[in-house]
Amino acid sequence: MKRRDFGKLASIGLAGFVWSPAVGSAQVKEIRMIEAGGKSGESIEEGYIKPFTARTGIRCVRESPGSLGKLRAMVESGKITAALFELGSGSLSQAIPLGLVEPLDWAAINPQPMFPEARTDHGLGYQYFSTVMAWRKGVKAPRSWADFFNTRDFPGKRTVPEYPHYCLQFALLADGVSPDKLFPLDADRALRKLGEIKKDIAVLWKAGAQPPQLLKDNEVQYAISWSGRVVGEPAIEMTFNQGMYDLSYFSVPKGVSKDEKDAAMKLLHEMTIAKNQARAAQVVSYTGPSPDLEALLPREKFSEFPTVKQNKSVQWQQNAEWWRVNGESVNKKWEQFRLNL
Amino acid sequence: MNGLAFVAPLLLVMIGAFNAPILYMLALGFWSKAGGFTTAHYAAVFEASVYLKVLASTLRISLIATVANVLLGYPLAYWMSGLRPTGQLVAVALVITPFWISILVRTYAWIVVLGNAGLVNSSLLALGVITEPIRFLYNELGVTIGMANVLLPFLVLPLFAAMVRIDGRLLQAAASLGATPATIFWKVFFPLTVPALGAGALLVFILSLGFYITPAILGGNRVSMISNLLDKLINEIPRWEQASVISTLLLIVTLVIFALYRRLDRSAA
Amino acid sequence: MTGQETFGRRSVSVVGVAGMTFLLLPLLIVVPMSFSSARALAFPPPGFSLRWYAAFFGDPRWMDAMWISSSVALLSSWLALALGGLAAYGLRRTAFRGRSMIEANFLAPLIVPTIIVAVALYLGFARVGLLGTYVGLVLAHTMLSVPLVVMVLGVAVRDFDQRIEQVAWSLGASWLYTMRRVVLPHLAPSAFAAWIFAFIASFDEVIVTQFVAGTYDTVPKRMFNELILEINPTITAVATLLIGFTLVALGLVALLLRRSGRWPASAL
Repeated sequence: MKRRDFGKLASIGLAGFVWSPAVGSAQVKEIRMIEAGGKSGESIEEGYIKPFTARTGIRCVRESPGSLGKLRAMVESGKITAALFELGSGSLSQAIPLGLVEPLDWAAINPQPMFPEARTDHGLGYQYFSTVMAWRKGVKAPRSWADFFNTRDFPGKRTVPEYPHYCLQFALLADGVSPDKLFPLDADRALRKLGEIKKDIAVLWKAGAQPPQLLKDNEVQYAISWSGRVVGEPAIEMTFNQGMYDLSYFSVPKGVSKDEKDAAMKLLHEMTIAKNQARAAQVVSYTGPSPDLEALLPREKFSEFPTVKQNKSVQWQQNAEWWRVNGESVNKKWEQFRLNL
Repeated sequence: MNGLAFVAPLLLVMIGAFNAPILYMLALGFWSKAGGFTTAHYAAVFEASVYLKVLASTLRISLIATVANVLLGYPLAYWMSGLRPTGQLVAVALVITPFWISILVRTYAWIVVLGNAGLVNSSLLALGVITEPIRFLYNELGVTIGMANVLLPFLVLPLFAAMVRIDGRLLQAAASLGATPATIFWKVFFPLTVPALGAGALLVFILSLGFYITPAILGGNRVSMISNLLDKLINEIPRWEQASVISTLLLIVTLVIFALYRRLDRSAA
Repeated sequence: MTGQETFGRRSVSVVGVAGMTFLLLPLLIVVPMSFSSARALAFPPPGFSLRWYAAFFGDPRWMDAMWISSSVALLSSWLALALGGLAAYGLRRTAFRGRSMIEANFLAPLIVPTIIVAVALYLGFARVGLLGTYVGLVLAHTMLSVPLVVMVLGVAVRDFDQRIEQVAWSLGASWLYTMRRVVLPHLAPSAFAAWIFAFIASFDEVIVTQFVAGTYDTVPKRMFNELILEINPTITAVATLLIGFTLVALGLVALLLRRSGRWPASAL
């Protein structure tokens, strides 16, 4: 009868489904990566995943966004579902002593020439990006971070990242610290400064797509944002002035299967090819780690890229080493701050 | 045929896939990494003012949402109970429909309605009632409105059911004795609906405590209710022992209030 | 009703309609928006277009999510129906020790706040390696649907006069035959309703899925993530499709139940 026959069918069906994801470990058909999402993610698709799949036949499914906390939760759960995980330099340097990532197999990656800072034991720096000030066209333009944190003369709501590595430094700059004296970071001072504008922080964003969206919807008037998401946007203005540039790395979570790791290394190889990087740069204005890239970038859009000389000179760099040592204690304070909002 | 045989398959699966995880979660709150029983995690949670703050704001938001529900829902149920039978059927169908529409959809629509560039603000600006958009979103106000909207059917339906069951002759009798409409309502009708109202309000309150989607979407990562806190403690920070402690406390509170609800519900029937 | 006639019916009507509008506002907004030609969130929509439906059906990630959602809903609803149906029959037709406690256990997933179920399943599944697996996801959805099935079929079994079964037995029919030819056909409409409820519950489920599904994307999980990341009108198309599907399914249920003469109003 219906119920008994169904019973048989269901058990076969269940068995099939139980079995199929487990099988397939021998021949990897697909790997997953966790990346920052939005246009940055699309640039990875365009520039690197497409040639990778064309060359190896392996699919790569993207998921977003990622954060140090998410990586920690994944490794702690014992279920490694992604072969590649994108992290900023500060997060990566913290992840290493926490035992969350594995060393890369550079022999397997077989990279094209790269800037040395992009080639590390545990991460491949695939993208230079900047964290900058952005605001809605029409509101009073801030000239410095002090203005950004001045809600009296520059009224309006702000959105800031929920990641301390991309937030605290700006608070300190606003409080009068000069870029070369930023590190060692006075986290308490930064949190105090942030506390001053607490009421005007409308949203703590998780994903890079949020700040431009919130600016366009007029939910906030000022934002801390990844540069590539706001350059060239008609309704948004931004400046590289006092911005922070950083490298985004791809790392391999600890405990991933060997076959998936091998496939991932091949994908990482694609990220070192200058022509691929140029294609990625067409989707979002970030630069790759190849010294040969600059020659391939379009002249008219030069000012949009974080590492061209005119922009690099007004910015300062993230200090990954400091975060490696002090990240944990800062994270604890940041948690408290967030929960107290 | 022994009843247990029928019940056993589900019971076994449930013990494995539901009871065991719940018990494991309860146990985790008492487990120390070195092995063995400890109350350290509970102590840590009670000491940390942050968690108590989140608990307080959860209670506050839930209370406000419940009150909003009562203020909106009672008149709605009252109106429905006065409709003709066909009208009542249509109204009930309309009230039930949102139940089956994904809560994501319902919450999402509020972004469109309440945003700075959204429906309400655009209309009010165009009419000249306000000069600047009102901030509905990404704060407690938006979350409360969203929650009130989603929870409304839970209050309206039982209340409506109770109102419809009220014997019309009682009201007629009062009228014939010379009572004014206001008196009839407040002295006769309303008291008869109080048990159902109380039960409904408690139900809405319990549901509010555990709300996750609406605060997550309409709160801008700022409004922390217990569920959002649990999300952070599991998926982001992570601190599993604390998540276990907080979940256990929430479970206890829920069960206590639920027992209260059952009692009120029975006296309303 | 005298209370109504004598208490300012008009003002009550106004408030009532306003309340109803408030309740239905989200639905009234989302559906037209899905047909909007505008890229950003605009209401009222400037023009008519099906581009967001095209975006949905053309995006492999949405289609992947669709496949996962549908298959998980199918499997979990059947499983819930089978297990829950058997259990409902046992609960109503027989008496045994601990019956009310076991029944309470079956209804527990409905009472326990979903966030707690999500946390518990996350921790429990992580311990046994079911976290982020397809099987774990199906199990989780089944657990969440079981209370609905037990309730709906419990009412149906209770309303089905046991004497009919007893007559069949006294006439010499075996238990199996009685079940097949007498009980199940009678329960079929309610079983169908229970199955639909379980299916919809699974299809719409987002909280537990968010915690337990790992990298498996269901439609609601994808919608939830997209809502936080980038408000894209494609979501309104997905939402409208979900609404349409739900209404059609419920309409079917109502039709079937009306036709068979049983309106399980008490189950609602």
